Amino acid sequence: MLKVSDLHVRYGNVAALRGVSVEVQAGEIVAVIGPNGAGKSTLLLTIAGVVRPTRGSVLLEEGSTLGLAPERLVTRGLSLVPEGRHIFASMTVAENIRLGGTGRQDKAAIAQDQDRVLTMFPILRQRYQQKAGQLSGGEQQMLAIGRAIMARPRLLLIDEPSLGLAPLIVNQVYDAVMALRQGGVTVLVVEQNVHRALAVADRTYVMNSGSVTMAGRSAELKTAEGFHEAYFGFRGAKGAVA
Amino acid sequence: MAEPWAIERERKIRSCLLLAALIVLAAVLAALGPPALQRTVTEAIINLVVVLGMFIFVGNSGVLSFGHIAFMAVAGYSSAIMTIPPAKKAVLLKLPPSLEALQLPVGAAALIAAALTGLFALVVGAPIMRLKGIALPMATFGVLMVVHVVTANWQEVTGGRQALVGLPVYVNLWVALGAVLVTLAVAAAYKGSRRGLLLQCARENEVAATASGIDPARERLLAFVISAVFVGLGGVLFAHFIGTVTANTFYLNITFTTLAMLVVGGMRSLTGAVVGVAVVSTVSEIFRTIEKGVSIGDLTLSAPPGLQEIALALMMLLILIFRPQGLVGDFELDWPKWGRRKSAPAEPATTDQRVHGS
Amino acid sequence: MNLLQSLIDACSLGAVYALAALGIGLTFSIMRLINFAHGELIMIGGYTLYMSASQPYLVMGLAALLVVTILALGMERVAFRPLRRASPATLLIASFAVSFLLQHVAMMIFGARPVAIDFLSPLSQSLEIGPLRVPWLQLLALGVTLMLLAALSSFFRWTAIGVQMRAAAEDFTMARLVGIPANRVIAAAFAISGTLASIVSVYMVAQTGGASYKMGVNMVLFAFVASVIGGMGSLAGAALGGFLVGVVSVLLQTYLPEGMRLYRDAFLFALFIAFLLWRPQGLLVKASDRERV
Repeated sequence: MLKVSDLHVRYGNVAALRGVSVEVQAGEIVAVIGPNGAGKSTLLLTIAGVVRPTRGSVLLEEGSTLGLAPERLVTRGLSLVPEGRHIFASMTVAENIRLGGTGRQDKAAIAQDQDRVLTMFPILRQRYQQKAGQLSGGEQQMLAIGRAIMARPRLLLIDEPSLGLAPLIVNQVYDAVMALRQGGVTVLVVEQNVHRALAVADRTYVMNSGSVTMAGRSAELKTAEGFHEAYFGFRGAKGAVA
Repeated sequence: MAEPWAIERERKIRSCLLLAALIVLAAVLAALGPPALQRTVTEAIINLVVVLGMFIFVGNSGVLSFGHIAFMAVAGYSSAIMTIPPAKKAVLLKLPPSLEALQLPVGAAALIAAALTGLFALVVGAPIMRLKGIALPMATFGVLMVVHVVTANWQEVTGGRQALVGLPVYVNLWVALGAVLVTLAVAAAYKGSRRGLLLQCARENEVAATASGIDPARERLLAFVISAVFVGLGGVLFAHFIGTVTANTFYLNITFTTLAMLVVGGMRSLTGAVVGVAVVSTVSEIFRTIEKGVSIGDLTLSAPPGLQEIALALMMLLILIFRPQGLVGDFELDWPKWGRRKSAPAEPATTDQRVHGS
Repeated sequence: MNLLQSLIDACSLGAVYALAALGIGLTFSIMRLINFAHGELIMIGGYTLYMSASQPYLVMGLAALLVVTILALGMERVAFRPLRRASPATLLIASFAVSFLLQHVAMMIFGARPVAIDFLSPLSQSLEIGPLRVPWLQLLALGVTLMLLAALSSFFRWTAIGVQMRAAAEDFTMARLVGIPANRVIAAAFAISGTLASIVSVYMVAQTGGASYKMGVNMVLFAFVASVIGGMGSLAGAALGGFLVGVVSVLLQTYLPEGMRLYRDAFLFALFIAFLLWRPQGLLVKASDRERV
């Protein structure tokens, strides 16, 4: 479904991605893990069309996405939940959710999806008319995901869903992600929490300093030879991965 | 082996000397030409004084200022009041007797006017340098407006809407040249100085600078005051080049022109300021000539007035669209690098190698 | 009674400033563009009225509305779209350049002297309520502004494009990521901005009886001040700022001692600077809405 090949991205003089290649098959959940500054967010932003690469290609369902505006990619079935949620704080929960369906014409199906989202995240139904800025961090995360779902994406990109959230809330969030996969949505998730990532994803990529340093089935990865080095970039004391 | 900072300092001095040499060359060439050319080059050099003055603040702090022309006005009018013969002053203005009788040698008047302007900038700048974001440019803009309204209406001191005439016209090519060389030296010295560097840090990342113990507001104020002194000097030169001043002399048109010169060349470097003034002056002159009429054989081609300004505006827009960093960008003039090995920037060690080797 | 008369003057002046400030605030909130050239949109409205002066008033007004709105869209397409990713400072200077350009094109075509236009002259008569004289034009300005504010308010709450514009104003990149078309939203902002400018020009021409290439300059300066005072990026703020500037301007005119009245605008701008020192983010924007590291 998604094929990223040899992606190079620079911010001014700084290389953020150096030849990254990633593949996601339809129906999979794939995770990207790595320390801060590894380029994980940049990868998602480039796939979503917010950042332009200097070299490389991104193929979404066989069609290239490069040079397309982010809003065009939404109609092609791609949806990004960026790091930090970025809900529209001054607008209500209702407006946020409805905005997720921008670009869709099928009114009946939109209403159905809205109901699904509110059922998936009951707290949103409770706070339906409140300003989104008043929600707690976890609620905002759910709102952000709910909003992204409204686009009926075939590929959902999520950047750091667990950041700053209590473990119980993170459970809820990941339950929702699993439920989405059941519904046929492919998911590419960037995650700081290595355990979570390996637990939920079928396959995982490890990134460090702009490159993919290791990749494989999640189950095998943790005990694989060189995993620490791939993550941290140097040979350190074992057990350092929390 | 020389220390890197010594090499750097050498390069900066070389750059400044090269620019100075180019300016002197331009002046000398103009001196050999017709008076009209001399006038044009003199005006360009005066503009360069103003733009270099602006650069001291805008280039180093990264903050856009719309108010600098206010300093031209303050200095220009101050110098005028101190140098116009008392007889004329009695007719045009209604000054208190001490000021009316005052007549200073032009050099002293210029220095005092510039100093007064610096003081003005200190008073006005101190409270506003703390402003962040778009508020600071807007505040400087407010200063321009206040000064404009005052000069346009204070009949007794500035002549109000009427032109103030009778200024001694002492500014010729060589006076301007002297002034610009001094300004260039100060601008270069400040840019390379420790205080200048502190300000540039604040320009690059204000939060990091503050965390490192730099007080951005204080550094900006210093640059603002020095800048005002030299922009003021430019104002004095301009006033005594033309011989008359009105409130509209130092208002939006010249704000635009000088800003255009700064932007076209590149706001980040002295070379940019010089290039900007040169390019804009040349283009303006070409269109001014076209406006007046160019005779080809029996035909006279001329354009309606306003063409010059339109050309300038279009040029500025094109530069902003296609080369927003200006014609020159960050670059500072230096000798061409013949036979000198370019040092390659160090490639950060990739971790891949360390990961997969063992 | 003097006070009441002044207040009415203030409100109608404030209404016009509010419209101008709204025009500027709209493009700022979505694109972070401070459009100096907004004044020239007003100027072009004025000259359109001049060119159509032989037509009935209604046709003149509609012509101004159409021409200015189209010009605003053209301005966006030609000058500002290429600069979409540029820094606010670059955008500001670019808009300054566009403003300068348009002024001199107008000067080239129409000359430097103001032109006289007969427009809505019956409205210069006043309605008399007891000791008060209220020119019909002022009443109209106030009434039209209030209606427009209500209309815009509904527009932004209830229409799809309006909601999209609000989202884009809050977080432009996120808006695109949910599928909001950037080009459409920006074009809409410029179109509405242009319409508002045309209404300001209609008022100014009716008030002064003419147009000149400089007519937009002062208006746009006050409109900025108004937007900044209300809070850049807040539409309610622009309206509020406009009314405040109008009120302060008239109060200064009325209560400043005779000799000082010439400097009314200097006082206004000095008060503006003082305001910036007190509350740089504007009245309706919270201090916490600052850039996070």
